[in-house]
Amino acid sequence: MAKQSQGRKVKEAKGNRLLVLPIYIFTLLFVGLPFVYLFLLSFLKRAEVWGVDFTFTLENYKRIFSPMYLGNFADSLKLAFTSTICITLLGYPYGYIMARMNKQWKKRMLLLILIPFFTSAIIRLYGWIIVFRSNGVLDKILMGLGLTEKPLKLLYTYPAVVVGMIYALLPFMILAVYSSAEKLDYRLVEASRDLGASSWKAFWTVSFPLTLPGLLSGVVLTFVPSMGLFFIADLLGGNKIVLVGNVIQEQMTKGRNQPFAAALSVVLLILTWLILKLYRNIAGTSELEGIF
Amino acid sequence: MKKSLLILLVLLLFLTFVTGCGNKEQEKGELNLYTWDGMFPPEILEGFEKETGYKINFSHFDYDEDMLAKLEETEGGDYDLVIADDYIIEVVIAEGLSQKLDTSKLKNYEQYNPVFMSQFYDPKNEYTVPYAAGIPLIVYNPAATDVEIKGYEDLWNPGLEDNVALIANYRVINGITLKTLGESFNTENLDTIKKAGEKLLQLAPNVRVINDSNTQDFILSGEVAAGFFYSSQVVAAKMANADLKIVYPEEGLGFGIMASFIPSKAPNAEAAYAFLDYINKPENAAKCYEYVGYYCANKGAEDLISAEMKDFLVLPADAAAGEIIQNVSAEAEQLHSEVWSQFRNACE
Repeated sequence: MAKQSQGRKVKEAKGNRLLVLPIYIFTLLFVGLPFVYLFLLSFLKRAEVWGVDFTFTLENYKRIFSPMYLGNFADSLKLAFTSTICITLLGYPYGYIMARMNKQWKKRMLLLILIPFFTSAIIRLYGWIIVFRSNGVLDKILMGLGLTEKPLKLLYTYPAVVVGMIYALLPFMILAVYSSAEKLDYRLVEASRDLGASSWKAFWTVSFPLTLPGLLSGVVLTFVPSMGLFFIADLLGGNKIVLVGNVIQEQMTKGRNQPFAAALSVVLLILTWLILKLYRNIAGTSELEGIF
Repeated sequence: MKKSLLILLVLLLFLTFVTGCGNKEQEKGELNLYTWDGMFPPEILEGFEKETGYKINFSHFDYDEDMLAKLEETEGGDYDLVIADDYIIEVVIAEGLSQKLDTSKLKNYEQYNPVFMSQFYDPKNEYTVPYAAGIPLIVYNPAATDVEIKGYEDLWNPGLEDNVALIANYRVINGITLKTLGESFNTENLDTIKKAGEKLLQLAPNVRVINDSNTQDFILSGEVAAGFFYSSQVVAAKMANADLKIVYPEEGLGFGIMASFIPSKAPNAEAAYAFLDYINKPENAAKCYEYVGYYCANKGAEDLISAEMKDFLVLPADAAAGEIIQNVSAEAEQLHSEVWSQFRNACE
């Protein structure tokens, strides 16, 4: 009897392996191969007018390490840091409090985050343009209240881009923190309160460390994309803030320099990989909370 | 809960990063037209369908480069008629992706304005006919600034601090800087381009926004006092606010031509000829130019364009001294793109 069921298990395992085979093939074809292509492309030269010249060169990578393009990477990192810090300050309390609510309210809070996502990201960004533009909604309100006298010229500035980033990426932080805070056994917090800890202390010594994996995963989920969301920098920054994503897009299209765009992508991928590695070392796990 | 969260997150990622794209299958009796959105007024497209019986299957691209990639992928098939910019057509022809035109099939061939023909991309007019020409121009609001603008040089005026909008085309922006130094748009001299780059950096404090699409909004909403835009956008701004002033910069104009060609393996070339005939009838051409706001390349249409728009759609006689912006050497192109990145970094 026991043997039989064991035999079935082995069979099942084999069947399962066959079932996941398409996913492996898919990954190999659409993730693995394109990456190899990208990697090889990054060592080629751009052709005179269009396309690629099949000669090996390290020139593309050398160009990236010129002060100008390093500056783009530095700017991207700076913006990613700023947005991530703001997102954490807003998203952590939201996710944490949401997890402490009753079922009904949990649903409502979740809905509030998700409804905007039924509209395209670009259209939602145009909404911000209407708010920020000269004589736009915000200017009208401020001037109507007598707080300012002339338009503030908020659009096409650095803060406008940060607001756009926060707006686009906040849900990822909230959901990651929420999924971590949901699992938190609140009896542990109650126990520490019973033993005399202030609510502040109970939070910092019990709740915070237990929700840290969610927070860190939220950081990764917001930090990594914010280096590449070029359309936010385009629309709200008036094309004046140049992120690595913008450079890649421009080199790919108007610059007609695909190999250089590929080299930039490879460096960005390496940077992303380093951030994930850092996350793994700090969180002690390779799983991103809220996703896997 | 966990599973639904996972699904939600995947959905979020999808909605955040995916932008749409689509391509329709072609059939017999169809004209597969491939160009930018908004190049033809709806009445022209409908009129063509009614008159000839062909059904138009209109696909759009945003960038010339997308179009080229698509043609390479289909090896010159799928589309019957493409309208794109001059510099990319040079590549299309060089790659053999377009077919020679049989001009005997084009009834109104003599209407094409020769000023816009025999250009670098097709010196013998074997593959293309011009559709329209664009000239980036300065437009400004005299009510919003005391600076009187006559040429590119005036955009550098400190009186315009944080008050200028520019298109995002670096060959054009670097080009006007070259013009202020008395050089050509198409110089391949690297030192000259570098010198222009240094001068361009000084423009940074005046730049409020750099963008390619719907730039007329910037000046109409009062976001900026002056802009350097594509001609269709300049016309759109002027039509919405008659107080704006259009400037034909005294340093010299740079222009680009949009031309039509038939891809090498077009499934229905006859439909393409029929469409070219239809839009090149002067009365139809006039409607097209009034709609797109580009310079008229049809001699017969010049007299049919309404009086209030004529000034913007018919090239002034003295403007013909302009230069066509052409492809330059890979080194020069690369330097241009570096100069541009440096400039944009300096803007913030």
